[in-house]
Amino acid sequence: MAKINSQRTLVLPFLLAPCTIVISLLVVAPLIYIGIISFYKFSPTDVWINIFTLENYRRFFFDLFYLKIIWVTVKVGLITTLICVIFGYPLAYFLARSRSKHIELFIFLLISPLMISTVIRIFGWIVLLGKQGVINKFLLLLPMVNEPVGILGTLPAVIIGISSILLPYMVLPLMSAIESIPKSMEEAASNLGANKSQVFIKILLPLSIPGLISGSILVYLISISALIVPALMGLPKVRMLGNQVYDEVLVSFNWPFAGSISIIMIFFTFTILGLYLKWFRKYGSIERL
Amino acid sequence: MNLILIKKKINTYLFNALVISIYAFIWAPIVIIVLSAFDPSPDFTFPPTGLSLKWFFSFFSNEMFMTSFFLVSLPVAIGVALISTPIGVLGAMGLVRYSFKGRNFLETFFVLPMLVPEVLLGVALLLFFIKLNIKLTLFSLIIGHVVITIPYVVRSVSVSLHGVKPMLEEAARMLGATKIQVFFKVILPLIRSGIISGALFSFIISFGDINLALFLTGPDTATIPVHIYSEIQWQGDPTIAAISAIQIIIVGLILGIINKTFKIRMTL
Repeated sequence: MAKINSQRTLVLPFLLAPCTIVISLLVVAPLIYIGIISFYKFSPTDVWINIFTLENYRRFFFDLFYLKIIWVTVKVGLITTLICVIFGYPLAYFLARSRSKHIELFIFLLISPLMISTVIRIFGWIVLLGKQGVINKFLLLLPMVNEPVGILGTLPAVIIGISSILLPYMVLPLMSAIESIPKSMEEAASNLGANKSQVFIKILLPLSIPGLISGSILVYLISISALIVPALMGLPKVRMLGNQVYDEVLVSFNWPFAGSISIIMIFFTFTILGLYLKWFRKYGSIERL
Repeated sequence: MNLILIKKKINTYLFNALVISIYAFIWAPIVIIVLSAFDPSPDFTFPPTGLSLKWFFSFFSNEMFMTSFFLVSLPVAIGVALISTPIGVLGAMGLVRYSFKGRNFLETFFVLPMLVPEVLLGVALLLFFIKLNIKLTLFSLIIGHVVITIPYVVRSVSVSLHGVKPMLEEAARMLGATKIQVFFKVILPLIRSGIISGALFSFIISFGDINLALFLTGPDTATIPVHIYSEIQWQGDPTIAAISAIQIIIVGLILGIINKTFKIRMTL
């Protein structure tokens, strides 16, 4: 027994050390580092000088320019989440309840686009939504549309782009939640005279709330950190926090301010994840999320 | 009665149509890019005007794109898979095979790179590298990608490991195998599919990443997605559609392989 224990104390650190070191060194340390520089004073000539200041945080919350960016970001996040719920629910229900032989194929078709580069998928939307794109060709067939509609560069374009990319993150947890509701419950309800919408409102919706919450948190948190989609489909009109961070780092070299925006966003993300884990641990782990 | 049946049928059709249109919402942008890549017309028209490979030839004769594809994107993705797979395998073994104090914490810690928004991780790494005087080379990009792919390897290997019965290990030990022999001759073959899919996922994620690459590449080390990104901003021709189509096909093939050996749903 003693021998096994001594072997164990040697083997276990050997197994766990590489992951722990890589993540500590390349995730934790850089985050702490930008946390530190977010309290330095910005200098146009030296990037920052060693003077402690809260200015970078004050500016974020009290400058009208940044408040507007925060508002756009929050709005995009909320509408995207709502759209993913609306589109995701039928799909999740279909995947959870279907007895089709091809169900594995349908799940493959849902998940595989996640692995295709975001840039390519947004490129596709730019082609589709452009003035000569397919969508405009259809719109022009309508009697009330006389000239091509400029969709790109507007809020709806950004929301379409983000929600089509993030939809699977909503569908997967919802699908698990619906799968865990016995089909017999729905049947019992409709045998007792409930119509489809009553079954949905009184049985499905309440019982699938854990899935809805996981999916919504996931979609919301990823969408508010979007950079590529607003950069390609929204700018200059639709500017989100991601774009602002990018510009502060690579255009105006205001790294302390970029640091403070990042820290605020990460703090927000982790607070929501933490609350989620605390309240809903029984429904699923962080793995599921 | 008949009327009810007809109504039911119509409802089913409507529901199926809804499901198909939701799939179209996900797939339309991908399909249109592949169609444009094979269309001879330069202005992304629909429906396609013909079938041509000219944009693919244009890609293969463009030195900048070729360098970026064969000397940046591919070697980086292969390097990432080679580095993050062994690290992730060890981590998964530690998490699944042993129970110890702080195991729950480490489990969450190992998915931390997935929880930090990628854009912000990119910013943090860039500033950190500048501070440490690490130049933006292929190497800096590889370490950035290793971080974000480790959680995928840990997860897919963990799933495989959960399927290996501890009994098998004990049996091998009793028959006189050493710990190392048990690992290489018993465990490794049994978790092979998990390791392979972890490695392939790492490859794909590195190959398609833009959020980290945007910050961690220099002018000479731009990956294919970074090139596509800047070409879109400059209104490039369908050559980038051809590159995109090639990426889509590569990713599709790899996912097909993963799906064969390993249920894709278990890793995500």
